[in-house]
Amino acid sequence: MSEKTASVTVRRQIVRKDHTKGKMIFFGVLVLLLLLMTIFAEYICPYDPNQQNLDQALQSPGFAHPFGTDRYGRDMLSRVIIGSQTSIFSALVLVAIITVVGTVIGMICGYAGGVIDSVVMRISDICLAFPGLVFALAIAAILNGGVQNAVIALAAISWPKYSRIARSQTLSVKNTEYIAAARLAGSGSFGIVVRHVLPNIVGSILVTAMLDIGTMMMEIAGLSFLGLGAQPPTAEWGSMMSGGRSMLQTYPWVVLTPGLAIFISVVLFNLLGDTIRDYMDPRNSRRG
Amino acid sequence: MEPLLEVRNLTKVFKKGSSGEFTAVNGVNFCLYPNETLGIVGESGSGKSTVAKMIARLLETSGGEIFLQGEDITHAKGKALRDIYRQFQMVFQSPAASFDPRRTLGDGIGESLKNSKTAKKEIKKRVRELLVQCGLPEDYDKRYPHEVSGGECQRAAIARALAIQPEILICDEATSALDVTVQKQIIELLGKLKKERGMSYLFICHDLALVQMFCDRVVVMKDGRIVEEGRPDEVIMHPKNDYTKNLVDAVL
Ligand SMILES: Nc1ncnc2c1ncn2[C@@H]1O[C@H](COP(=O)(O)OP(=O)(O)OP(=O)(O)O)[C@@H](O)[C@H]1O
Ligand SMILES: [Mg+2]
Repeated sequence: MSEKTASVTVRRQIVRKDHTKGKMIFFGVLVLLLLLMTIFAEYICPYDPNQQNLDQALQSPGFAHPFGTDRYGRDMLSRVIIGSQTSIFSALVLVAIITVVGTVIGMICGYAGGVIDSVVMRISDICLAFPGLVFALAIAAILNGGVQNAVIALAAISWPKYSRIARSQTLSVKNTEYIAAARLAGSGSFGIVVRHVLPNIVGSILVTAMLDIGTMMMEIAGLSFLGLGAQPPTAEWGSMMSGGRSMLQTYPWVVLTPGLAIFISVVLFNLLGDTIRDYMDPRNSRRG
Repeated sequence: MEPLLEVRNLTKVFKKGSSGEFTAVNGVNFCLYPNETLGIVGESGSGKSTVAKMIARLLETSGGEIFLQGEDITHAKGKALRDIYRQFQMVFQSPAASFDPRRTLGDGIGESLKNSKTAKKEIKKRVRELLVQCGLPEDYDKRYPHEVSGGECQRAAIARALAIQPEILICDEATSALDVTVQKQIIELLGKLKKERGMSYLFICHDLALVQMFCDRVVVMKDGRIVEEGRPDEVIMHPKNDYTKNLVDAVL
């Protein structure tokens, strides 16, 4: 009886692991397609995304313009495709910045401890205590608009999350015997952090980063919607939605198509992040 | 003769909770002379590993001094400490935990050589020699810690400690996970190195028979203090202290 149950459990685990891997590959391919579309946006666009053509203004979706046109007669499909460059790339750059900066700061604090640690951690406490988007709004407003400044503003409030994770993980790795052994082998602090601490904490940080890409896309789009991110005529999904918001009832495609683009990309990145997290979960695979 | 390693009044107090304190090591004195094997025995929790870690400067002392060849190393740091680590090495009690799970055994064994600027090829050759010396196949340098057994990992840990040819080796239960034949092989290797290179060992061990065979002198620890010291034959065959008597009776 008990033997039977055991074998059943084992089989279920194996099935689940393979499933996770398949899902991960599936979403990975979809995200890859999205990124390829972004990279080759210029070549894919059926029309010049910035070409105004007032006779064609506000056409509903049809053969010539699958996503319709906006009030200046610009092709929405082309604008959505070209807009992915700003929306997706700025989110990727933002996540890359906060991951690297946050991790480096967190590792230094965790490994060195002492005064540096307390000072930096109090600063990050302050950042975490503010409602994030409000703080980013303030910074973006001071710096004036522009995607670049929106990225800087969001980076300024988002790194503490990563430094916290990196710090706590570093603290738990720091007291292991393999770090003691590395010290006995004559490795200096820098070598130990790079060779032993980083590889052991990087997994969970990357998973967090994957899950953050979607969130950051939303926040950049949010800032742009409020006029603090991408400025017209740059095509960016948030600012495109903002530009068309008065026409939601009359010409809904002007708002809905960039909205749909945000929705699909955020969901894709989040699903990929989720499945990667499941895959790395030690309960699913014997070893990460 | 001047001692190679000397500890005076070594003390370690651990903080327990908010106010409680626990003295794990309490005023320990001993010397290790060149080309000598000093055994440390005592029940579990008597503070043996704590002494070893303090000597290896992996744990701050709460009191007392540590001298290496007459030089006070109690508070050695940075570069000075890294130089000291060329003279002594330690084999940890839990070998599996002492290897980085994301690096191969070869990486771990060669780390000290890498830090002393040895050429890559030379490191690889040395690592393979060390593995064979410690009774492991030479291709184990590509294995990860979770891919080898506890005893194999322990032998890899010994290989790592021997890599930069230290003068002093602190062995914290270094042979406890090995079966008798492998243990014999390791003890023979350590004996050979002692004879050829004049190495000295601080040999923490709970196997009294092994201590009797391998050690020149032995100290008995209880509750963080040394309760008896002497030649293994005398201490084990004619213990003066009641605690040692119990310890010996429990084994024999
Ligand atoms: N980091 C620590 N914090 C608090 N107490 C500790 C710590 N490390 C060790 N101790 C305590 O100190 C005492 C001595 O521990 P130690 O590891 O030196 O024992 P040991 O003699 O090596 O025992 P064993 O033979 O089981 O390895 C134990 O009671 C232990 O609980
Ligand atoms: Mg111990």
